[in-house]
Amino acid sequence: MPRRTGGLPLLVTSYNGRPIKIEGNPLHPASKGKSDLLAQASILNLYDPDRSHRFVQAGKRSDATSCFRALAEAKTLWQQGGGKGLAILSEDNLSPTEDRLQTEFQAKYPSALWATYEPGRAGSVQSGVETAYGKGAVLRHRYDLAKVILSLDADFLTGEESSLANVRGFADGRRVEGPDSSMNRLYAVESRYTNTGAAADHRLRLPSSHIVALVAQLAAAVGAQNLPIFSALPEVSVDPNWIREAAADLLAAGSKALVVAGSTQSAAVHLAVAAINEALGNQGSTVEVIRLPRPSSLSIVELAAQIKAGQITDLILLGGNPVYNAPVDLAWAELQKSVKNVYRLGVYEDESSEAVAWHLPQAHYLECWGDTLLQDGSYGCIQPLILPLHGGISVSQLLAYLLNVPAPEGKELIDGPALVQETFKRKSSTLQTGVFDFENAWNLFVRDGFQAKSAPDATKSPFLFSGAAAVAENRMSRPQALGKDNLEIVFVNDGKVDDGRYVNNGWLQELPDAVTKLTWDNAALMSPATAQELGIYSGVQVQGITADGIYRSDVITLTVDGRSLDMPFLIVPGHADYSITLPLGYGHEKTGRVGQGVGFNAYRLRSSQNPSVLTGATVVKKGGKLHPFAVTQEHWSMEGRDIVREGPIAYYKEHPGFVRSLGIESHTPENLNFYTAPPFDYEKYHQWGMSIDLTTCIGCNACVVACQAENNIPIVGKDQVAKGREMHWMRIDRYFSGSQRDIERKMGVMPTDPEMVLQPLTCLHCENAPCETVCPVNATVHNEEGLNVMAYNRCIGTRYCANNCPYKVRRFNWFDYNQRQLDQLYWGPLGPKGVEETLKLSKNPNVTVRMRGVMEKCTFCVQRIETAKIDHKITTERREIKIPTDSLQTACQQSCPADAIVFGDLSDPKSRVNQIKGNEMFGIKGYSHDYNLLDYLNTRPRLSYLARIRNPNPRMPGADKVGRALIDAYEKKHHHAEGHDKAHDAKQGLKPGAATPAGHSQETAPTPH
Amino acid sequence: MSEHAITTFGPAKGNMLERRPLVSNQRSMGWITNHIAGMLEGKIPLWWWIALVLSAGVATLVPFQLMYLVGTGVGIWGSNQPVSWAWDITNFVFWIGIGHAGTLISAILFLTRQKWRTSINRAAEAMTIFAVICAGIFPAFHVGRVWMAWFLAPIPNANAIWPNFKSPLLWDVFAVSTYFTVSLIFWYIGLVPDLATIRDRATGKIRKWIYGFLALGWRGGNRQWRHYEKAYLILAGISTPLVLSVHSIVSFDFATSVIPGWHTTIFPPYFVAGAIFGGFAMVLTLMIPVRAIFGLEDMITRKHIDNMAKIVVMTGSIVGYAYLMELFIAWYSGNPNEWWAFLHNRVLPSAPYAWAYWSMMFCNVIAPQLFWFKACRTNVLAVWVIVQFPNIGMWFERFVIICTSLHRDFLPSSWGMFVPSINDILLFTGTFGLFLFLFLLFLRFLPAITIFEVKAVLPEADPHYHDPEAKPQHGAAH
Repeated sequence: MPRRTGGLPLLVTSYNGRPIKIEGNPLHPASKGKSDLLAQASILNLYDPDRSHRFVQAGKRSDATSCFRALAEAKTLWQQGGGKGLAILSEDNLSPTEDRLQTEFQAKYPSALWATYEPGRAGSVQSGVETAYGKGAVLRHRYDLAKVILSLDADFLTGEESSLANVRGFADGRRVEGPDSSMNRLYAVESRYTNTGAAADHRLRLPSSHIVALVAQLAAAVGAQNLPIFSALPEVSVDPNWIREAAADLLAAGSKALVVAGSTQSAAVHLAVAAINEALGNQGSTVEVIRLPRPSSLSIVELAAQIKAGQITDLILLGGNPVYNAPVDLAWAELQKSVKNVYRLGVYEDESSEAVAWHLPQAHYLECWGDTLLQDGSYGCIQPLILPLHGGISVSQLLAYLLNVPAPEGKELIDGPALVQETFKRKSSTLQTGVFDFENAWNLFVRDGFQAKSAPDATKSPFLFSGAAAVAENRMSRPQALGKDNLEIVFVNDGKVDDGRYVNNGWLQELPDAVTKLTWDNAALMSPATAQELGIYSGVQVQGITADGIYRSDVITLTVDGRSLDMPFLIVPGHADYSITLPLGYGHEKTGRVGQGVGFNAYRLRSSQNPSVLTGATVVKKGGKLHPFAVTQEHWSMEGRDIVREGPIAYYKEHPGFVRSLGIESHTPENLNFYTAPPFDYEKYHQWGMSIDLTTCIGCNACVVACQAENNIPIVGKDQVAKGREMHWMRIDRYFSGSQRDIERKMGVMPTDPEMVLQPLTCLHCENAPCETVCPVNATVHNEEGLNVMAYNRCIGTRYCANNCPYKVRRFNWFDYNQRQLDQLYWGPLGPKGVEETLKLSKNPNVTVRMRGVMEKCTFCVQRIETAKIDHKITTERREIKIPTDSLQTACQQSCPADAIVFGDLSDPKSRVNQIKGNEMFGIKGYSHDYNLLDYLNTRPRLSYLARIRNPNPRMPGADKVGRALIDAYEKKHHHAEGHDKAHDAKQGLKPGAATPAGHSQETAPTPH
Repeated sequence: MSEHAITTFGPAKGNMLERRPLVSNQRSMGWITNHIAGMLEGKIPLWWWIALVLSAGVATLVPFQLMYLVGTGVGIWGSNQPVSWAWDITNFVFWIGIGHAGTLISAILFLTRQKWRTSINRAAEAMTIFAVICAGIFPAFHVGRVWMAWFLAPIPNANAIWPNFKSPLLWDVFAVSTYFTVSLIFWYIGLVPDLATIRDRATGKIRKWIYGFLALGWRGGNRQWRHYEKAYLILAGISTPLVLSVHSIVSFDFATSVIPGWHTTIFPPYFVAGAIFGGFAMVLTLMIPVRAIFGLEDMITRKHIDNMAKIVVMTGSIVGYAYLMELFIAWYSGNPNEWWAFLHNRVLPSAPYAWAYWSMMFCNVIAPQLFWFKACRTNVLAVWVIVQFPNIGMWFERFVIICTSLHRDFLPSSWGMFVPSINDILLFTGTFGLFLFLFLLFLRFLPAITIFEVKAVLPEADPHYHDPEAKPQHGAAH
């Protein structure tokens, strides 16, 4: 999958010629079969019925023939003039073929201008790194090697800087298998709460514009090269102990330390971070410098200047949507209108297709041949899985047309892999020695999806700091004191719709944001104190709920540099004060039906000078109507319950069984059963179980969308989500520390700087399931493999099961979400019925599409289980044996880049899930921090959790509070720690569950015959 | 001679308290027949037409709402996750509760020989039938696929799939349908002698034929009376445990679950007491206006109203005890989830549904305490006003149990709020229309008071009775 931060190696499942599910490429070392949120969701874009499906001439429907006739005429003129007056604005897809064609284009049309624009990419990273290490240098961070990591506004787990390798490396570095495991340590400094901040052991909230000052102090503390440019910086109010101890920890880790800065930070910060990493000796260890030379292009600002000067008569837009997202100071919409002929290749007929000479439909990446540089720099192949559904064409096809690359007989455009093959040949010639067997090499390339060993090696690069000081000085923005009349605005790519390109993707729109749990919207994010001081905070947000049960917010007016934007706001705990985060990508005036009019366009405040961080903003309450939000989680506190259990690793070492004696379970007696259900047959059948590791889960949401794609889960629309009727089978619960009730009573706002914990939930497949006993029609029952199964065609929809589910994981089809238009749900039979043809194609044929009135929930991907069993029976021709150990993955597990989800067979002593959960039958002890959610209910869930173990630095300020909320509550109740130990030891002795989860306690374990 | 006889066999004035007669003003048997039958003979009064049209109009909301519901989906209600049951089951339990008084009056008071029941049992039983009809609408139509609701019936089928006999909801199906059937038969059997009376008084041919058909050939013979009384006694015996079982089983829907606020062993007696409480409140609500309109003060005397008010205050106090006891147990159990469900979902002013909880408390526990005062019990208007509180309060009780428990249970991540939609409100309103519509038809077409039983409680019905003013009878002597 092409991505501006590097492509993702994928493997796509296709049924009858229609791709239905995207997975990571198991052959690629960065992926190992894992993928991320956007990759999972991008399949829906393929089947988006609103994608551009026609050629449009000046607003009127036309056809390909007329379009290419017009283009042929224009092309002749351009060739005569050497491209004079012609300009191309493209996205930066990191495609070697597109790069090659760009170079050829620039040779063929020497006078033509080629500019690239990626609104989601801040140039500061590139510029800082290139200043440090020379042109074409790119950094590759090795989180797998890092022991101490400091992140400076860098959401390297889920944000702009993220990659699969980052997540894998980070998660592997802190996976806890027992009290003896070692963990990496993460310090995060950030303005808004990100998943990285949530994963951090120590988190410091600081406005993005102040991070530079912290960097300066840090550089001094670690003894980085004398950095005169920072010396004059004013001190910002950061606890000096924080910086000192963090620096000491980094120094102690030596070359196993890693400091990263985010794309919001200036080139100077990136340069300073490079200096710090150099001082720690990280180059060649946790920081690798690689070279990825790219063809040179102009920026959109330079192109705009040319257009303004009247130099451009013909403009070709290759993808992108500059009218929507170009820097506001360029006034691009007017500029584009001033160009005589604009040719636009676009995925949607959106803002940029207005008033153009020609609009051409662009193909999806799964519809055409292509290639890309993967996240680690290796060379990846994109193989089409389906012919263009809407007759779209690719960027390289159009470029080849402009370059007169001969097309097959009777066609305008070149087809098939020829263009990529050509690039492949050229690239291979530099790698290959001896005789080059193209056929074999190409087949291998297509089969593997990437070229083995093509990732560029790290080069030992000299740090060119001295020559760069002056450059950095110029780009230095000095931190100023912020206040309510001088607010900071930080633009970030939205975690879901990215820079706006996924705005018409219903899965992503309906996905709860990892931190705010907001769906179908964006909002100005700010801290509680800021909102209070600005006086925009109304009582509505005390409980967040207005009388009709919907979360609402006042609309505010943000003003900066003479521009203003009206937008609702959300209070986010842990946000830096006087800083406002604006997620980009929403507020489209013209796009598909899903994204149209959703959210607010933060690009309207974004200028070319300061694309990331602006200061000097003011906010006033606009008044008028409140804006309704669809938030999937209204209560942010665990209220002291033992739901997400966590503890510092030092405590864990002292009390290896502490996890199972927290909260209510420190008081309840061992679960007893008057009636023992027939035990499960571990001999004859598989017994499925799952474990989710809360230490490594980063809350990236990939599993949620993977589940949605795998299981044909419909979207329900903003209105229904606001009513609490979202259909996700999997959700990620997010809690902040503190008691919501207490805080609302005392202050009326959310906590200022809480910790955040995340917990993914699916159906827990309780062996003693409360949902099963209450269903009057036996529609939800247990099978012999321990699955809690739903018989949809038996379900009459009493919803009793959902009421009685203590985990609230059941989802009901309140309307015919699959058949009806989401804006006409209440019309019933009076509204139109049916599904768009393309959306029908997107469904997984192995999963029933549910009708209205039935209950549904996670099945542990029973269709995958059955497929695996059938496949195994066919291939082995032995009828009784079970499938091989861990040869099957659920959709959520398969997508999880952190490997936090482990699914497997509890009847198989070799399975990984048994090693984690333990199994008395096989004498497997399991991890001592494995626990069952709401164990005292005796539901005996098959899904258990590994507690969240954290690794605070005991010398850091506030370290004694990290991850200790439940433990402290426990110890307070028991007066002193010794008491705890005794109670806890007694419990351990009493509980066979110490070695095995309650699910396999003695009453239920089958006796082998 | 006659003077002497009275002093010998009659109540000894001055030595014994005289029991107030159940029919006042020394009404004769003829008067009773004429008066009750007169309610359904002669010209239909205008008020009846107006009331019928109005209630029918409101009742039409029911079919329209159900058509919309079935055509569109349960989503037209305000229910959501986590509050998957809301007004639907609240209204079901509310109506089922109202349906309790009728059978209690007709069966238990019959078996315990409470003669004052005779003036009110017919109407109370009719109310039961109509309330159960209203109640049945909700569980039947609250399901997502009502066209598949027959899965609930234990019909042998090729797939060998039975209903889940462990599910309280299935017990409900059996309990409610049994209760309805038995109540209907009990009511009808009790109607037979009176239907024959109406038949005999009928003037029109069609009227005669219809009532004749319904009277099942009743001629009032000795053998028929013997059969009748045995059948009635047996049915009363069958009905009596049903009074206790139906609401116990309805309460199992909640008591057997794991949800804090539902998972409570006190529910069965608490629900039964609450049902009797609500049922009597509704009987009083209906009978006080009927008594006034039809001039039934001599048959439904202040004594009847006084008795019913006493039952209301007694059951109201039982309910109050149950409320406090479940609150105490929630605290005493030491289970933080349980205690939270009461304290923070219901009781504290900051609880989202505190207003509902305290409405319930006031209506069900505080307001009925006025019935400790005789003045309140004997002032008919006051009684009518006071019993409106239990009517409202008992609806809130079910709402509090169902919604406040569900909206915030174990995992705070899944907490939500419930807000009714317009369709919730319209359907519930519609059932009131339906209830009144059926009751008005009942008043006009069936004898609202049991003619023959009221006669049986007249002093004249006593074989030892001797009318002091009657002329000496000689027939027997001669």
